[in-house]
Amino acid sequence: MNLEAWLEYLRNTTIAVAISQGSIAFPILECIHVVAIATVVGTITIVDLRLLGYRSHRRGVRQLIEDILPFTWGAFVLALIAGSLLFISNAPKYAHNEQFQLKLLLIVIAAINMGIFHLTIYRRVAEWDERLPPPAAARIAGATSLGLWLGVVFLGRWVGFTL
Amino acid sequence: MDMHALGEWIYGTALSGALREYAWAVPVVQSIHIIAIAVVVGSALVTELRIAGIVAPDESMSVVARRYLPWMWRALAVLLVTGLLMIIAEPDRTLNNVPFWIKMALVVTAVLISVVLRRPLLQPLSESGQGPARSLAWILLALWVAVIFCGRFIAYIN
Repeated sequence: MNLEAWLEYLRNTTIAVAISQGSIAFPILECIHVVAIATVVGTITIVDLRLLGYRSHRRGVRQLIEDILPFTWGAFVLALIAGSLLFISNAPKYAHNEQFQLKLLLIVIAAINMGIFHLTIYRRVAEWDERLPPPAAARIAGATSLGLWLGVVFLGRWVGFTL
Repeated sequence: MDMHALGEWIYGTALSGALREYAWAVPVVQSIHIIAIAVVVGSALVTELRIAGIVAPDESMSVVARRYLPWMWRALAVLLVTGLLMIIAEPDRTLNNVPFWIKMALVVTAVLISVVLRRPLLQPLSESGQGPARSLAWILLALWVAVIFCGRFIAYIN
């Protein structure tokens, strides 16, 4: 099955039809998506700002990350589920939407940025846990993450104006 | 002056016309609005869950409140400005809209609870004060979620 046929198949699944035809499912999913995104961006911003040198409620970066990231991940999974359901309600149209494609790309880059951070400078967090300002590599990771997530919000809102 | 007349008058202003003339203006203002909502949600989540005893229970409440409340007020100021710009751009969409007014009532309630009821609770808590403080923390989180739901429903219900 090629991509186009698969997107068409998704749009015609029972659940996708229920979302696109019903009057209440789509807006409710949007509300959940916005609450989840606000939680993802709001919590990750706290960590990013700490990486840039703004104090949080914890002295150390490690403790802050352990406090905050479970909520970021939980909210991200919720955003992903609600977002996927919104996507299948009109899969071909979203898949061909440039803003939507760019939004997904930014999320992938944000994930790579986070992966690099955790595999490199965060491995040595004991050396700079309470240091202000944090080392350059941590500040770069924080600034990159912040910029990418702001971009994700802009593009996500923009998608709504292009369909 | 009724809401409809007020809306007509706002619609006729130069600022309203300018906001509608540029196709990017409303999406950009809305995006900034959502980012400010994220800041409120992030600050509220940590503050309220600290009060509820779930996040960082070993950290003092006053430290948590001192770090996050200023961000929350700044974000609320941004929300007020971007929200006003959205009303000016499309007054009919909001001023005659039921979810919009419910949202405003919920925002005022949440802010009043934060300012009036919470300030005294953030002093070192007595045993008897902890129960009410925790309940208020959950109520505030529920209020912010309800605010977001109402905000999205402005686009769907009239």
